This record gives sequence, C-alpha cells and structure tokens, in this order.
Amino acid sequence: MGTIAQPVDGLRRPNIASADVQLPAVTSYEQVDREIISTLGFTKKWLIGLGIAVLAMLVGASAWIYQIYWGLGQAGYEPPVMWGVYIITFVFWVGIGHAGTLISAILYLFRAGFRTSIYRAAEAMTVFAVMTAGLFPIIHIGRPWKFFWLIPYPNWRLLWPNFKSPLVWDVFAISTYLTISTTFLYIGLIPDFAVLRDRETNPMRRRIYGILSMGWRNSDREWRHFAKAYLFLAAFSTPLVLSVHSVVSFDFAMALTPGWHASIFPPYFVAGAIFSGFAMVWTIAIPMRKWFKLEHYITLNHLDATAKVVLFTSMVVGCAYLIEFFIAWYSGVRPEQEFFWNRVFGQWWWAAWIMLLCNMALPMSLWSQKLRRNPTWLWFLSIFINIGMWYERFVIVVPSLSHEFEPWQWGGYTPSWIDMSFLVDSFGWFFMWFLLFVKQMPVMAIMELKEIVVPKLKDPHAGGHH
Amino acid sequence: MKGVLGAFHELDTTVHAIEDLKKSKLGDVTVYSPTIRHELDEAIAGPNSVVRRFTLVGGLMGVSFGYWISVWTGDYWPLVTGGKAIASWIPYTIIGFEVMVLVGCLSTVAGMFINARIPRLTTTVGYDPRFSGGHFGIFVACAPDKAPQVEALLKKHGAEEVRREA
Repeated sequence: MGTIAQPVDGLRRPNIASADVQLPAVTSYEQVDREIISTLGFTKKWLIGLGIAVLAMLVGASAWIYQIYWGLGQAGYEPPVMWGVYIITFVFWVGIGHAGTLISAILYLFRAGFRTSIYRAAEAMTVFAVMTAGLFPIIHIGRPWKFFWLIPYPNWRLLWPNFKSPLVWDVFAISTYLTISTTFLYIGLIPDFAVLRDRETNPMRRRIYGILSMGWRNSDREWRHFAKAYLFLAAFSTPLVLSVHSVVSFDFAMALTPGWHASIFPPYFVAGAIFSGFAMVWTIAIPMRKWFKLEHYITLNHLDATAKVVLFTSMVVGCAYLIEFFIAWYSGVRPEQEFFWNRVFGQWWWAAWIMLLCNMALPMSLWSQKLRRNPTWLWFLSIFINIGMWYERFVIVVPSLSHEFEPWQWGGYTPSWIDMSFLVDSFGWFFMWFLLFVKQMPVMAIMELKEIVVPKLKDPHAGGHH
Repeated sequence: MKGVLGAFHELDTTVHAIEDLKKSKLGDVTVYSPTIRHELDEAIAGPNSVVRRFTLVGGLMGVSFGYWISVWTGDYWPLVTGGKAIASWIPYTIIGFEVMVLVGCLSTVAGMFINARIPRLTTTVGYDPRFSGGHFGIFVACAPDKAPQVEALLKKHGAEEVRREA
C-alpha cells in the first residue's frame, strides 16, 4: 500500500471493468453530472407517452372491474385449457425482469464493461417487470381480495401451505426476487441521489433527494462499505436470477402434462428470460439514448456487445426448441410425439411458427456486424423478439393443456377481449412506472460512469490509463 | 468535530496530499470522492470492510430458517403428499435457498448502513457539495494548534480551497 509520498504510477483499473468499452466523448465528472441530470426535465413528448401508458392501464383496470363483477368466466378459459393469457403474460414479464439483475449482478461479477451505461435502466425495468408479473396471479385467481392466501402462513386450523408445491416455491422466488431487485436498485441509487441533492435548486426536491440519499457524503468509509455490500449483493443476486425462472419453469415441469414434463425446462426458461430481457432493454434503451441525447453514453459498441448476448441466447433457446422435439421422438412416448406434432403442424402451428421465426430465425441477422451496430434494426428486432417470446409462453401453456393424453381432454382456446385488455394493461402499467422513473431518477449510474471517465490530473503524464 | 477541509480538483494531487498527511500524523483523515477510486483506497489504506460478516451471518440464519420452517410445518401436521417424505430435503432446498438469499442480502444492506453510518440525519462537518460533483476532498480532524500545519500541507499539494471547519 502506498503510504509514502511518491508520484501516482498510473491510474488503476476502475472497480467496474471498462477497458473494452470506453466513453471517448465524456471527458469530465462535471459533464456526466450535467448531461445525466438534464434528462430529468419534463417534456411534452414524455407527457404524451405517460398519457398513453396511463390510458392503456385504465383499459385493463376497467376490464378487471368487469371481470370481478361478472366472474372469471369472462376470461377465455374453456376446459381443458384453464391457464391462458394471464399465466402466459405472468411468465413473459418474469422473463423480462431477468435482464436487469443479470446485467447489474452477473455482468458486474464478470467485469463486463458494457453494462455500465445500461444497467440502471435495466434494473428499473426489472423491478417494474416483476411488479407487472405479480399482478397476474392475483388477476388469475379470480377473487383478488383473497390474494393474501398466496402468502405462506397457516390457516385457522394451523395448516401451513405445502412447501413441496412449485406454486409455493414461486411465491418465495418471486417475492425474494422483487425484494432483492428493488434493494439492489436503491442501493446503487444512493450516491446518485446525493449528486441530485447537491445540484438541485428547488428546496422541496432537494429535501426529498436529501432523504433518499440518507445523508450520503461520498466519504472513504462510505465507499469502502458500499463497494463490499454491492459485491455481495451481486454475488447473491447471481444465483437468484438463475433460480427464479428455474422455479417458474417448475410450475410446468413438475406436472405430467405432455410438453411440460421435461428436465430441460430450467435452463431453457433461464436462457429465454435473458433473451427476452435483453430485447426489452433494447426496446427501452434505444429510444432513450436518442430522445435524451445519450448516444455518447450508450454507444454502438454497447449495442454491439448486447447484440452478441442476444445472438448467443437465441441459439441456446433455439437449441432447446429442437431438443424438445428430439426428446419427444427419442422417448418413444406416443402422446408426447403427437403433442409436438400438433404443436408445429396441427392446431397451434401458427403460434409455433411465429415463435420459431421471431426467436430462432430473425436473431440470426445478428451474425452481421453491420446489423449489430444498427440501432433501428435492433429496435425492430427487439419488438419481434418480445412478440416471439410471448408466443413461446403461449406455445408452452396452451397447446399442452389443450392436447393431453386422451381425446376427451382435447380442446381449444380463444382469448376474450378481457384477456387482451389485461395484456394491453400490463404494458401500460409497466411503461407508466418506467416513464415516471426516468424523470425522477438518473437513468444511468452517475457514480459508475465517473469511474470510467479519466479523472482530472495535474500531471497526466505520470502514468497511462489502462 | 474541528478540523481543516481541503478541496482538490485533481486525483494525483489528492493522493499525494493523503500520503503526506498519513506520514505526518497530524490528525484523522477523511477523504471524499465523487466515485470509487482505487488510487485513493491505496493511499488511505483503510481496514477491510466487515460487511462480509453480516452477509455470512444473515445467509446462515436465512438458510437455517428456510429449512426449519419447511420441516417444522410438515412435521406439525404430517400429511403425505405425492408419496413423498414428510421432510423432503430436495424441495425444501428451494425454500432454504430463497430465504438464504433474502436474509443474506438484507443483512448485507444492514451491515453497510451500520458501518457506513447511514442514514445520517444531521448535516455534518467537513463536507462540501462539490465532493459529489467533480472535486475530491480531504478533511483532517485535528486540534487547533495543528491546523496551520495541515493548511500549509494541503495548499502545498495544490488544494483549490482550504478552510477550517468547526
């Protein structure tokens, strides 16, 4: 440890890795403060976006009131398909929620520099996506005022829930994930709230930021414990990310239903979740970098790096699709084989082919570096992937329930307008929270961006930057 | 707490000032920086964070509780479901794991709050809003008779501003 006076022998590597993705257009700490804080001002476009999101949310709220009044029969359920859009959308949003903690925790541990510019938005996306997902089991139970029955506590006869049930595991996994994701987001925001507190001129807002920053002073003591806590939170969150969608996949894989009872489900779900989560990061981050004039923070190098993750996870997901067919063929179990035939060439062919096109075929365009560095193409591709991943969950849930072992168990499913209203509502609810977030809190981690920026030096030639 | 505060705009001058202050032992040094810099960490050479102990204890408590609640509730009203043992350790591992992560993370945060001494309700001596922006700061808690020496040292290393805090 250097405790004697001598020249600084070059700058050390930052706490987060940045050697591979630099921000050449960002030259000072003050510039970071100025440009990130400038994103917080209200604009007309933002208000219009918020208005649309609230409207979409109100569509779903009206549908919910209607469903509560007339009963769950208003949804498109028809025996034997008693899981439909609500469960599909639940799994879809839990999957979306994966990318945030993956980017902030796993990529932090792997020292992936490209995470720095996008992880705050992705973390917020995670929290709001899990909040959105959490609505659907409550909607699905039909009597939402009984939602507390989902919480593991004993009834009046002191009978506890069955801890061997995947549905109880789900409650533990999702609630833990929401709590930890929110904590992770907030802990990272504390130093940034201190920046906002110190720059804010409005006394009321300064006071609010002062409370949120908890009196943070940027002292060496605070940074020392912050860095350690952040590292351990990342270390805990990493297996948590992998466990959550594995547990969600157990909801299906523990059943004997054809198409569900497969040990491949946990990695298949996790890869799909990362794939869809990154796509949603593009859906959000690409317009954000343009509207907020942050192209020099989320550079083409960042997009290129995320595109490689999407390409890789697309191939993992594609491989899982193909292995499912292989398992059905190799097992020699006739209901399983018939089910998979029905999935692709029978009753549900259109859904399966949308899934295969959006999740397997279109992402192969990312082998082209030109397209990986084309934000417009990435944004459109993200929409296709979002659609494809919703259909993937449709293909998992509906065809299996509609084509079980015996012909009398076979049926169809058509979502009602109530179902579709809830789907619209989920996007309205999600984007309402996200739009409120981007105007109250920094969309990029000011503190970590400053770690990348070369600090001001009296003698810049004393050493080189790594 | 009385002392002297120096504001620096350059990282290297801040590091040199810290090293000199530690060598001359004029008082307790607190360093402020807008972000984590390992150069400052090395110059300060502070103790390791004890947050990891909170993490360990919290994680162990969580995993113990997760397994215990599953086994105890199963045993309290033993209903055989799915032909499985009352205390089935494989499904209960999921509960144990999730509660371990939950309690471990929350105790990590508690450890950080306790050791970093936040939330801080009162405004404190020796802080300047510039330290969350682009400046580095050094606060030296010292007796008034040593303050001139500290001031001279900070100025020698190129502090933009040096002032006494009371």
